[in-house]
Amino acid sequence: MKWTCVIVEDLQVAADYLVKCCEKSGLLQVKGHFTNVEQALEYLNKNSVDILFLDVEMPGATGFDLLDQLAYYPKVILTTSKSEYAYNAFEYNVSDFLKKPFTYQRFQEALNKLTTPAGENNISSTATDHIFIKCDGKLVRLNNDDILFIESMGDYVKFVTLDKKYITHNTIKNLEEKVNRQCFIKVHRSYIININKIDDIRENDLFIKGNEIPVSKAHKADVLKRLNII
Amino acid sequence: MSGSNFSKKFIFNEKIDSTYLYSLYEDDYQYIEEIFATTLAHFDEDLQAIQKAFTSNNLSELKKAIHKIKPTFGFVGLPMVQQSCMEFEDFCQKATTSNELTSEYQQIVATLAASKELIASEYNKLKEFNSN
Repeated sequence: MKWTCVIVEDLQVAADYLVKCCEKSGLLQVKGHFTNVEQALEYLNKNSVDILFLDVEMPGATGFDLLDQLAYYPKVILTTSKSEYAYNAFEYNVSDFLKKPFTYQRFQEALNKLTTPAGENNISSTATDHIFIKCDGKLVRLNNDDILFIESMGDYVKFVTLDKKYITHNTIKNLEEKVNRQCFIKVHRSYIININKIDDIRENDLFIKGNEIPVSKAHKADVLKRLNII
Repeated sequence: MSGSNFSKKFIFNEKIDSTYLYSLYEDDYQYIEEIFATTLAHFDEDLQAIQKAFTSNNLSELKKAIHKIKPTFGFVGLPMVQQSCMEFEDFCQKATTSNELTSEYQQIVATLAASKELIASEYNKLKEFNSN
């Protein structure tokens, strides 16, 4: 089965070249090409893809703005003509960084880095009803349904359940990829919440069992979309 | 991109870095023709964006516009022009008004115009080559 991908690139010749590389690889199915972040977001929030080829500087919002607003995290390969973004690329946990123009061989190397087929990765992150976290020297099983929300604490995160809190070494950005996206959604750079546990939402905050959690402007629309509002 | 029957039958203009082009597309001349055609189709629009941003003293847009067109030149075997664009982009980053960039701007616009002529001429040659 082929990996699905989307190209977000404002330079037509670069986008065409990427499509050609994808076709040549025989591994990828290009689901779309978008020349700006807004169009790409509209598609990506309705359709899940395995790989995102993402330019950084485009008219309007940047590629990093798109990553901030995505409700889930596909494998990301940045395509840019500037090396200065390498640090941000690291911060955003992107799989590779292709400097334009790149050879087909370099493109293949980037694909090879995606050693875990994205489809498999999705299964482990989206189809399970529990996770294991490293805590106090042991692996602790947490059922998705027991987790109220996850809060960033710098290099650590706090998993909050109804009766307990678990602190473990991890980041929200990393967890976005690992948790079941049917249950969990990022609402703020420091919070992932269990969508089924929301008691109410007021302006830019939501409440879960008495805990007040901020909802950033960038994520609010996505949160509202996921609610069963009648 | 064909990867088969690799041969360097077409003679590129000496200003074009053919080694660089072959490293990207091997001897897929049909595809190289497509790349040149796409580049030409968007060239004027991208150049106008640069001119408009400079005239309106909008440095942020000027930087974006030059950044956008920059890799185009790599794709058509003109990595040195890509490098010149990068240098101009750096000038834009440091400048506070477009007046400070007049000389560099005139130089880059002249380089871009000359490059367009070269790309157009190579495109016509490629088209003829591929049709035979």
